[in-house]
Amino acid sequence: MSNGPLIVQSDKTLLLDIDHASSDECRKAIAPFAELEKSPEHIHTYRLTALGLWNARAAGHDAEGVIDTLLKYSRYSVPHSLLIDIAETMGRYGRLRLESDPVHGLVLITTDSAVLTEVARAKKVAPMLGMRIDNETFAVHPSQRGHLKQALLKLGWPAEDFAGYVDGQSHEIELRQEGWSLRDYQRLAAEGFWHGGSGVVVLPCGAGKTIVGAAAMAHAKATTLILVTNTVAARQWRDELIARTTLTEEEIGEYSGAKKEIRPVTIATYQVMTTRKKGLYAHLDLFDAHDWGLIIYDEVHLLPAPIFRFTADIQSRRRLGLTATLVREDGMEGEVFSLIGPKRFDVPWKEIESQGYIAPADCVEVRVTLTDHERLSYATAEQDERYRVCSTTMTKKNVAKALAVHHKNDRVLVIGQYIDQIDEIAADLGAPVIKGDTPIKERERLYGEFRSGAIKLLVVSKVANFSIDLPEASIAIQISGTFGSRQEEAQRLGRVLRPKSDGRGARFYSLVARDTLDQDYAQNRQRFLAEQGYAYRIIDADDVFTGKI
Amino acid sequence: MPTKRATKKLTEGTPRVPASAASLADELRSRSDQQIADLFALRPDLTSPVPNDFSSLSARASSTPSLIRALDSLNLFQLQIAEAISALDESLTRERLVTATDPLALEALEKLWARALVYFDREVIRMPRALRELIGAKPAGLGPVSLVPIDTKRIDSLLKSAPKMSAEFMKRMTWGPAKGAIGDRRKTGGAIDWLLENELMVKIDNEHVAIPREIGIHLRGGKIHRELAVNPPQITGDLVKFEENNQAAIASVSNLLRWVSELMDFWSEETPTLLRTGGLGLRDLRKAAEHLGVDENCAAFIAELCYLQGLLAIEGDGRVLPATGFDLFQSATSEQQWRDLVSIWLESTRVIGLIRIEESKGIAPLGNELDRVWAPRVRRTILELIKGQADIAPSLESLQQRLDWTLPSRKDAPLAKEFPRWVMAEAQWLGIIGRGAISSFGHAFLHAERDLGINAALPPAVDHILIQGDNTAIAPGPLTIELARKLSTFADIESRGNATVYRFTEGSIRRGLDHGHTGDEIKNFLKSTSKTPVPQPLEYLISDVARRHGQLRVGYANTYIRCEDEATITSILKDRRLENLRLRQIAPTVLISESESGDSLETIRNSGYLPSMESQSGDVISLPKQLRAQSKARLPRAISETSEPTLAVIQAAVKVLRTGDRAHSFTASRAEIPRTTANETLAILRKSIESESTITIGYADTNGGVTQRIVDPVSIAMGNVIARDHGNDEVISFKIARITGVAFIDE
Repeated sequence: MSNGPLIVQSDKTLLLDIDHASSDECRKAIAPFAELEKSPEHIHTYRLTALGLWNARAAGHDAEGVIDTLLKYSRYSVPHSLLIDIAETMGRYGRLRLESDPVHGLVLITTDSAVLTEVARAKKVAPMLGMRIDNETFAVHPSQRGHLKQALLKLGWPAEDFAGYVDGQSHEIELRQEGWSLRDYQRLAAEGFWHGGSGVVVLPCGAGKTIVGAAAMAHAKATTLILVTNTVAARQWRDELIARTTLTEEEIGEYSGAKKEIRPVTIATYQVMTTRKKGLYAHLDLFDAHDWGLIIYDEVHLLPAPIFRFTADIQSRRRLGLTATLVREDGMEGEVFSLIGPKRFDVPWKEIESQGYIAPADCVEVRVTLTDHERLSYATAEQDERYRVCSTTMTKKNVAKALAVHHKNDRVLVIGQYIDQIDEIAADLGAPVIKGDTPIKERERLYGEFRSGAIKLLVVSKVANFSIDLPEASIAIQISGTFGSRQEEAQRLGRVLRPKSDGRGARFYSLVARDTLDQDYAQNRQRFLAEQGYAYRIIDADDVFTGKI
Repeated sequence: MPTKRATKKLTEGTPRVPASAASLADELRSRSDQQIADLFALRPDLTSPVPNDFSSLSARASSTPSLIRALDSLNLFQLQIAEAISALDESLTRERLVTATDPLALEALEKLWARALVYFDREVIRMPRALRELIGAKPAGLGPVSLVPIDTKRIDSLLKSAPKMSAEFMKRMTWGPAKGAIGDRRKTGGAIDWLLENELMVKIDNEHVAIPREIGIHLRGGKIHRELAVNPPQITGDLVKFEENNQAAIASVSNLLRWVSELMDFWSEETPTLLRTGGLGLRDLRKAAEHLGVDENCAAFIAELCYLQGLLAIEGDGRVLPATGFDLFQSATSEQQWRDLVSIWLESTRVIGLIRIEESKGIAPLGNELDRVWAPRVRRTILELIKGQADIAPSLESLQQRLDWTLPSRKDAPLAKEFPRWVMAEAQWLGIIGRGAISSFGHAFLHAERDLGINAALPPAVDHILIQGDNTAIAPGPLTIELARKLSTFADIESRGNATVYRFTEGSIRRGLDHGHTGDEIKNFLKSTSKTPVPQPLEYLISDVARRHGQLRVGYANTYIRCEDEATITSILKDRRLENLRLRQIAPTVLISESESGDSLETIRNSGYLPSMESQSGDVISLPKQLRAQSKARLPRAISETSEPTLAVIQAAVKVLRTGDRAHSFTASRAEIPRTTANETLAILRKSIESESTITIGYADTNGGVTQRIVDPVSIAMGNVIARDHGNDEVISFKIARITGVAFIDE
């Protein structure tokens, strides 16, 4: 029996003992086919899923290699049935292929006509197939390429897409590496994406996803459509692209509520893409406005459902998804995989932190106690009001103030969910507020002053959750969260993870009302970060007032 | 004197053999003690009960049920030789047998002799008549024995000059079947008639013809079988590395033992109840499968294994609960546990594969329909076969072929195709086979070795856990049973295997507190078992839950007594006359009691207080209720008159009466139905077949009632006697076991 670092469980999870001498080697060996589920401090959990194994097949790994790796690193002997299962699952990939045929156009081809017959009989698939050309081939209308892939995946017979991509209209884009250079993992991410064709790159907040996007554009050298969450993010993308690439201001267009520019590189917001006029999506034409060679989806975990539907129709264009987490609160991970593409690159947060690319963070949960009066009103509140009652307790305001005073020399973000609450706190602290109705110009001014250090304390609502680059923020105080949203907690922590010029660590305070719904939701939110290795420490509100932080 | 029977002898007879029991008895008597011991070893059924003397041994050895067992144990080659002996004529010598078959036939002959399936009368090979009957009238597809001597030269010359069509017919029937249908005779244009005229074929009835046996053997070139299965087919399959195979096997062994204890633990918490029709319901099976993380077939297998091993008991009300046997089982070493499970599996007559859902046999686990008597023998045979192939994973196909040779009697039996597949799958779950080939553990077990090497091969138990910041604890190997039990009271299992992942949640901690642990106890336990420091959020979680646990109290009472005046409450509590109510104070103004509210009211009233009854809504009830039964009224069942019999019933009754009357007239002197022992019954039946005489039998029906019949026996086969029943003048088969007695009829 070997004394390897890996424990293969019968439920297809892999436990990697990271304190083991060969854990690093093992992690690299299993990464191509196992999905990292969580990476807390001692044992990382990976999972063997059908999707993961198919991804590995797509990347050229075969079942034998996978099995050998498991046997090599496994601490205990591996059940035979599990190995057979792996071989069978992997054998399913590639039996069906989407190809482009010089005569018939897009076709679905198989090496196993029984499989083709089986899927052709399925109710969901049958209407998407055209004429049966021969025993092994079906014609497919190009418009069905995405939908067919989705349906086949659900049947458990994923089709390998060899139909290729249109090159798009070529446009010269180069990275301008002056005074900076692409980090290793950024280069690997961009290359991983480019060789895979389409897919998703998963990197922590602050790890430079925009630069991975720019590097991908430099690979494609074609007109590019970038979809981002909001206008501020769009402008940050534009600034970053101008700074890092050979693109000039004239080549980049913004397509948002405010401006409707279509240029060789166009940055559009999700909101404008999903705006409807008289029941019709008014701006869909944008997808056809240019012969795009690359489409980039920023924050893919937030991609709204209609965008998925449009994406199904543009399967012949290269697609790059960028995100900090594939966790979707709506459970649509499968759609991301089949329509944008498989995960092409992934690296644990802690690893990037240990390389010094993101600031180390100290997560603190501050427990506050409701006053007796508040307890009573919490107990008698209606179900849908209870969370609001407990998460906006007065005590939190006092704690937030105390923390702001304690960190008066740092740049502090106070983040909240409820507008009334953040307005009150801002008034108390005498700090400016950014929220949904703050004009874009005003927002940019405030962010600018915060970056320059003219203001040190900023109170923000959830509009600041995503893609706002505030590198010098080192303290975040979350006074209320969006129920149990795990990805939001990760995003908020991400605000303070950008490396600081003086190498300081970041601190993330989460204020939680004891013995209430707030505490339950907080625990759910923290789960993702805890699984990424960010352990929370818990202190009492009294410790804050007495300065024991 | 026995009467000669009027009915004609059937054409398809067996060769004429004199009654032979006496000489088999003599031959057995002349065998050495060792040879008799060998016989008993080969045919164990002969020893229960131990026969009194050689004649009863000989009678038993040539009785049909025992012969069937003996035939079942023959391999294909031996069976073919037995067939050949049965097909060849009376005065068969060894030389003649070898010419008709193969030189190796002598070896097979020895095996048959050892089983007393043949015996020697000087140089002549003899076979008990009952065995010939069992083998049947058409051994190796040959026709009936010719009634006239055969002149081979005449046949050869006849065949040379035969019309083309006739020759074609002869050729087509040479290697069987024994009997050909004539069909429309006009179409064959006289070809069949020509064959019949020249006695190359004989008529069996108006529609069938056959080649006489001697002519058939001559046409087969003096041989009996076209292909003699002298050598067993090879078992083939993929080569397997010993080490990998054993690794896979030990993984299965550890899974199996884990599944068994997990299933029992699961059922002690979520106890299933058997279906009213017996057996475990599909829903409960699915739940168990989901809990174990295996498919339903495997879950059913584990459940059956627990049942066989006595780890679970089925209560009178149908609940399935772990038995005390489970606690004993758990205290044994892994190797002992495994040995117990495999032994019981190997010997069991329960065919667990029948439960397989996708093959929809519709048989439930733990039910009564799984037993098949042949299962242990076939199971052991399969394991013996793969035991000989240590380095290959036998393909099912080649295993099946080999099994058909080794146990030809099972070839077309029910489940012949499915059973080997099931056994292989089960052996894999058990770890007897690893990656398809037999493991060293399985090998050692089948050789009954003392040390199977399982304890050494299983990963050693670990006595620590690793607790992580995300409120999970990981046992990086199989935990010691004490730790595992304790941990699972306050942590939920998230992932199972050699390692276990536990998650602490509010619910799981609360469960631990309900089990009687305190918060500090849990914390201390975790601190002492965890190799890593207990993360602070987990400590908070435990403290939080412990703080709130038990703030609300829920209890049970039949009566409450409340009074706004605390003094009255105190005096009632202290009142000695009310002691039998066993009152308990739960608040300054509230007492409770377990006595019924009506009784309490009376007692308190009788002690001089003035209580009044409160309804559920708190109103005072002024009038006592009139008593009503709590259960639903059930009307007594009305019993109707007997219904009128139908015409058919009446007619049948008359017929039975008439027959009985006739039977009675044959045996007017005797009012009783004859009673004979089984051996006598068989002897008289044989004699009557031989002498074609009419006998009377007592025959038990399915309800145990015995009727008397007058019959002409025709033949004996497979425990049945075929006879013409005078009662309805039909040829029917009677089960010999149900014949209570026989007697010749004296007219």
